[in-house]
Amino acid sequence: MNVAMVNTPHVGRASATQSQLRDRISIRKLNFYYGASHALKAINLSLFDSKVTAFIGPSGCGKSTLLRVLNRMYDLYPNQRAEGEVVFDGENILSPKQDLNLLRARIGMVFQKPTPFPMTIYENIAFGIRLYERLSKSEVDGRVEESLKRAGLWNEVKDKLQANGLSLSGGQQQRLCIARTVAVRPEVILLDEPCSALDPISTAKIEELIEELKADYTIVIVTHNMQQAARVSEFTAFMYLGELIEFGDTQKIFTTPNDTRTQDYITGRFG
Amino acid sequence: MRAKLYRRRQRRNALAMGLSLGATLFGLGWLVLILGALLWQGFSGVSLKVFTEMTPPPGSDGGLLNPIVGSLIMTGLAVAVGTPVGILAGTYMAEYGRHARITAVVRFINDILLSAPSIIVGLFIYEMVVARMGHFSALAGALALAVIVVPVVIRTTEDMLLLVPNALREAAAALGMPRAYIIRFVAYRAAKAGIVTGILLAIARISGETAPLLFTALNNQFWSTNLNAPMSSLPAVIFQFALSPYADWQKLAWTGALIITLAVLLLSIVARAVTASRKPS
Repeated sequence: MNVAMVNTPHVGRASATQSQLRDRISIRKLNFYYGASHALKAINLSLFDSKVTAFIGPSGCGKSTLLRVLNRMYDLYPNQRAEGEVVFDGENILSPKQDLNLLRARIGMVFQKPTPFPMTIYENIAFGIRLYERLSKSEVDGRVEESLKRAGLWNEVKDKLQANGLSLSGGQQQRLCIARTVAVRPEVILLDEPCSALDPISTAKIEELIEELKADYTIVIVTHNMQQAARVSEFTAFMYLGELIEFGDTQKIFTTPNDTRTQDYITGRFG
Repeated sequence: MRAKLYRRRQRRNALAMGLSLGATLFGLGWLVLILGALLWQGFSGVSLKVFTEMTPPPGSDGGLLNPIVGSLIMTGLAVAVGTPVGILAGTYMAEYGRHARITAVVRFINDILLSAPSIIVGLFIYEMVVARMGHFSALAGALALAVIVVPVVIRTTEDMLLLVPNALREAAAALGMPRAYIIRFVAYRAAKAGIVTGILLAIARISGETAPLLFTALNNQFWSTNLNAPMSSLPAVIFQFALSPYADWQKLAWTGALIITLAVLLLSIVARAVTASRKPS
């Protein structure tokens, strides 16, 4: 399954970049079930290396479910199962042989609500680093500082690294969670509506951050905010009722979509 | 029409509030009476002797040193045995086996155990331990108290861990954190205050238990720290002395009751303080 089959024909700018695109994650014939309910139906999709891909669609369409398949987060719960293939680095991550902890260390995730751990700001970040790396104190310190700087939080917290992570504001907590994710140096970052609980200023900061991060990471973002999808992503997937309706260049999806359902959604006729 | 309806509601509100207030005062009144009697009767007997001398024969001077130490030893042992079992079982139920059938079964049985009369626990240990060993012992007493500690700790540990949001576990898992780490460093930390409160409440509960000790540790008029022999305890001494016809023994029983009550009160206050500090910022 290559890109062209799920993609609508590209025009202009998109087709020029097409040749340089490299699949980071390939999703093939993916079906997902919550018990008996069929939540994702035969999804085929490529997530490109060092690009930002947005998943859009009305509530309950399967965006978050699809995202949670990519790091097998669904595995924490019984009665949830996925069928098909998700190929990452040449291996099917849905295989039972896949080590979930190692997978999740390589594919990081930021959630809708900020979830700082009940520990200090410093420990919130250092804890993840120490899980898979043996570093000296000064190296960890350096990594904590670097991650907080990347997340645009360093100046606000550098004098209170020993304060409880829960003492920060909502927007700061979310940036702390992003710093924590970046600190373990994953290859892919999954963002599940990262700005839905934030005010416009914090949202703008996080969007800037996504802009900076995409040079080094493959990013997937689920969002309800179509302007946000248009602003931050290069590729957009529109989902509806568990199906992938249309996938392609963000500019094209938002200007001349092929499917009428995409057209209806982006113009606000439903969803 | 509307004004009439409103007046009727006001009257009903006044009635309900009056009844609630009356019930509160009725309940509180007994508590005040109990505490008042305890302070009145017990406080006059409090002296240094109470903490330095052994229980006396009738008619002579003495204190409560051996039952105080006995209670501390047996309560300490019971908590040392019961707490790890309770925490581990609660952890299994909330973390590993949350959706397992056995968890539902264990929870049901645990709830029965939680409200089982303590005299039954005493009889059980009497049959299982005392009868087999052939004599009463502090060890059997501690074991009986541990059986009471376990369900309390299981219940609070499970409840407190279930209150930890799944989002926090997911966030930890998303970093590649193994399950054991998530439980130890994220879930336990988030639930710490609640679990500690549960342990303190369990201590408060067993420090006044008499029935299970009468069947197991019995009592001891003399100083003894031998775990393999009968041991004195405050509740058992209160029971024996309060029922006796001797005025000086009755006096000591009141003092012992006051000591237990104040100790439990102190524990409850500590538990409250720990719970209050749970909410950061």
